[in-house]
Amino acid sequence: MIVYISAGLLGLLALSIPVGIVLFLLGFGVDTFFSSFPLTRGLGNMVWSSSNSATLIAIPFFVLLGEILVRSGVATRTYAALDRWVSWLPGGLVHANVATATMFSATSGSSVATAATVATVAMPQAEKLGYDPKLFSGAIAAGGTLGIMIPPSINLIVYGFLTQSSIPQLFLAGLIPGLALAIAFMAVTAIICIIRPDLGGVRRTFPFPQMLRALVDLIPILILFGLIVGSIYLGWATPTEAAAVGVAGAFLIALAFGGVSWSMLTQSLTGTVKITSMIMLIVIGASFLNFTLASAGLGRELTAFMTGLGLTPLKTILVVVVLYIVLGFFIETLSLMVVTIPIIVPLVVAQGYDVIWFGILMIVLIEMALITPPVGLNLYVVQGARKSGSLNEVMLGALPYCLTMLAMAFLLIAFPSIALFLPNALQ
Amino acid sequence: MELVMIRGLRKLNKGVALIVGFGLLLCAAFVLTDIIMRQIGTSLGGTEEIAGYAMALATAWGMAFTLLELGHVRIDLLRSQTGSFAKAMFDLFSMAVMSAVVITIAIKSWPVVERSLINGSRANTPLETPLVWVQMPWFAGWVWFAIMSSLMTLAALSLILKRRHAETEQFAGAFAEQETLQ
Repeated sequence: MIVYISAGLLGLLALSIPVGIVLFLLGFGVDTFFSSFPLTRGLGNMVWSSSNSATLIAIPFFVLLGEILVRSGVATRTYAALDRWVSWLPGGLVHANVATATMFSATSGSSVATAATVATVAMPQAEKLGYDPKLFSGAIAAGGTLGIMIPPSINLIVYGFLTQSSIPQLFLAGLIPGLALAIAFMAVTAIICIIRPDLGGVRRTFPFPQMLRALVDLIPILILFGLIVGSIYLGWATPTEAAAVGVAGAFLIALAFGGVSWSMLTQSLTGTVKITSMIMLIVIGASFLNFTLASAGLGRELTAFMTGLGLTPLKTILVVVVLYIVLGFFIETLSLMVVTIPIIVPLVVAQGYDVIWFGILMIVLIEMALITPPVGLNLYVVQGARKSGSLNEVMLGALPYCLTMLAMAFLLIAFPSIALFLPNALQ
Repeated sequence: MELVMIRGLRKLNKGVALIVGFGLLLCAAFVLTDIIMRQIGTSLGGTEEIAGYAMALATAWGMAFTLLELGHVRIDLLRSQTGSFAKAMFDLFSMAVMSAVVITIAIKSWPVVERSLINGSRANTPLETPLVWVQMPWFAGWVWFAIMSSLMTLAALSLILKRRHAETEQFAGAFAEQETLQ
């Protein structure tokens, strides 16, 4: 059954059938070939119960929040403000790319949206100030991936939903690794630019009063982050309710900056519906596949398979890491995550690993998938915002950050407390 | 003819998506009101339940819009290496498979509604919502999705039969993420 699922998955995906539909097809296949009683009879109920979910409505809310911020011009102000603060570092504006991406990650739950936002704002600056296009665009692609790690994160909500683990704990667990990655990205940028100053463009310093004034533009985003994360951990709101608070907050910020109009509102709303349905088709498909796999006894088979292999827990995790890197070349974030959860998570948990910790490790690996060619969505998004140059430049520029993420994955394996410290401390 | 129909469907579903979007906005406002009321010691009650229904409805009715906007993720690693005829075949095949699966889902969803209808089921919650009220429009959303994807499959088939295969790309092609994020 494991072989059937893996081969079927890759074969059907290669035929370019929509990912969500592939998951349904695999579920039908499991029902036909591996189950002694008809499981498809439960299809209607699965579709109903997996979409009738107050947890998942956090997804459209967080998407909407991001859409509002992106479409109301808040991003431009944030970028300009961060430029004032970080452009004295070796690498100059490249740091502003990473820092803006980090701040947007903290309010939006999506990596692609984060990369698209920063790319649109930053690209015109690169040419004006003479930056190396490779490093500059690579930093945006990589910085954008932080969107799914730093809370709130749509991917962590989906992970929590499918593995039935605590979403607030997942959010807490993602905070330190996410910030550590952001700092590591900036450190890597600085090191590269110290070795090769020609890549870094002009370093600029701004008078202190100007820096202070710029802070005003950062305050709304910081307050919004505090509101969302704070209301969850103070026990005022569930992640879903916090997402609704975030929508209201984003609206107020957009209003304050004068970015609200009828067309901006309708675009944000239809954009939200589109992304939500895209995610939900995959999530519902995965729920159905999960259900058929569990009913057909995948758990027993997996345990037997693993015992047969005789791998130690550490070796299992290393195999999993390699698997994600290889699959990550071809399959994209959410799809990669959702199609592997039914098989990989039970396997890893059976080896004694923590399900929250593994969620964070998986996110790091999936972040890498976003910037590894040939299929790396963030690479394309950044390239789409560039006026000239080839995709290869973005890929090369993203490489150092990709290696940084790999290092982070190994650090997480060596020191699980990087992820688990906060959730354990605040429990 | 086919392209005129697709344009019409796009417009129609954009309207649907807008209604769904405002519905979600209303739901966010409702949740927010409840949080504020809880701080002053009272509560609207039932927000969790209503949020769940809103999600089920939004999902079902948003699917067709996403389809028409090429929003459902496809891996086009092989597909992108081929010429316009092979691309059109990939697209037709994936549309046909998709329609078949969605029709199956719509058919298998009916028993869920039927059971609630026959038993007069109410939600096991303080609101005791009659489930049919929510499940009926939810079911209709999946039927809508099934009709839309069947119509698109037919449009793609008809264009290919007329040897206008380059034109299927714009409505049945793969995934145009860059443009959508502008």
